[in-house]
Amino acid sequence: MQISRRKFMQLTGATAAGLTVSRLGFDLTPIKAHAQMLKTQYAKETTTICCYCAVGCGAIVHTSKQGDGRVINIEGDPDHVINRGSLCSKGASLRQLVENENRLTEPMYRAPHAKEWRTVSWDWALEQIAQRIKATRDTSFEAKNSKGQVVNRTRAIASVGSAALDNEECWTYQALLRSLGLVYIEHQARI
Amino acid sequence: MAYAFLIDTTLCTACRGCQVACKQWHDLPAETTSNRGSFQNPADLSFGTYKLVRMREKVIDKRLQWLFFPDQCRHCIEAPCLETAGDPSAIYQDGDTGAILYTAETRNLLTTEIIESCPYYIPRAADDGTLAKCDMCNDRVHNGLKPACVTTCPTGSMQFGERDEILTLADRHLQMAKKRYPKASLLDPDDVNVIYLVAYPPDLYHEFAVAAAGRSDMTRQMALRKMVRPLVHLGSRLV
Repeated sequence: MQISRRKFMQLTGATAAGLTVSRLGFDLTPIKAHAQMLKTQYAKETTTICCYCAVGCGAIVHTSKQGDGRVINIEGDPDHVINRGSLCSKGASLRQLVENENRLTEPMYRAPHAKEWRTVSWDWALEQIAQRIKATRDTSFEAKNSKGQVVNRTRAIASVGSAALDNEECWTYQALLRSLGLVYIEHQARI
Repeated sequence: MAYAFLIDTTLCTACRGCQVACKQWHDLPAETTSNRGSFQNPADLSFGTYKLVRMREKVIDKRLQWLFFPDQCRHCIEAPCLETAGDPSAIYQDGDTGAILYTAETRNLLTTEIIESCPYYIPRAADDGTLAKCDMCNDRVHNGLKPACVTTCPTGSMQFGERDEILTLADRHLQMAKKRYPKASLLDPDDVNVIYLVAYPPDLYHEFAVAAAGRSDMTRQMALRKMVRPLVHLGSRLV
């Protein structure tokens, strides 16, 4: 199935004969502006950190300076010490977090056994989360285990997330979870 | 001055950053895909997918190897598609970068003829017959940036630069690769500007990893048509 170099040259040579005819007397060279303007030419540049895994790659966000200020492009920041401009497929798709018609912009709630999601307010959602964490924690709290050792834990709630947090944010988050008695604490980078 | 890519598949982890960065820069839509039992996704190149990391599982020397091949247009030094089209308003080469570029005028070409002419089976047609493929991010290259796929590559598998430098780099990568993979080779380095380095025989990676003979055989009719085409153009100008 492979083509030898000789075959390749023969092939292109045959077509070159056709081209020479076009060179007799008239010029078919296209007059084109090869150097297209970059879509980011007049965009505002803002640096950011990728929100996905714990590597913390730097990225540049290009937003429109005029009009709606929407995101035009997001790519790796070549000056960033961690990734030097590179991004994996998740990082390369960062723009989709903002510019995507399927993106959720309001909290959604699906009640137990309900088939449909419905839009709820932030106030309602945050209050519900607080109330349910409190209720679950209070009913499942174990002060001592079966051997009588003090454990002060709940095994009914788990935390999954926070891989992109920095050191201080992690401390605050960890303190919050431990104060509730959580023992199942995991970040999402392994998922 | 021509530019070239080096794609060292021995360094590729198939993260598909290149694939997504390409879509992102070109504002190309996502595709509806289905589970075909492979991580290769979408299944093939298309009018809206210029770059695709092909994945194959092969047993080589009684060991399972997962072979990755980030497929794209090779930007041939003498491109059969360009020669076959014979219409510089549809397919032309940028003299400054060496990129082979398709315009919207490709819709007036014989679609199957152009696709058949490609030894690497790269161009893909839209419903109206317009052809599309990798454009080397020509806008970026003209403005001093590297193509989106090369910029994003986290492993250094993809490199871009002036052809001379890339050829030197390719030889260096080949020497390194040969220590681990004695059968490592560069694919068609003299004919194309996108040079792949593979660890095993290229046909294990992809049917059209190297120029395929069956695809690009030019029939006498086709050659004749090419001879005549400029005269047809001339005729139409005189009318």
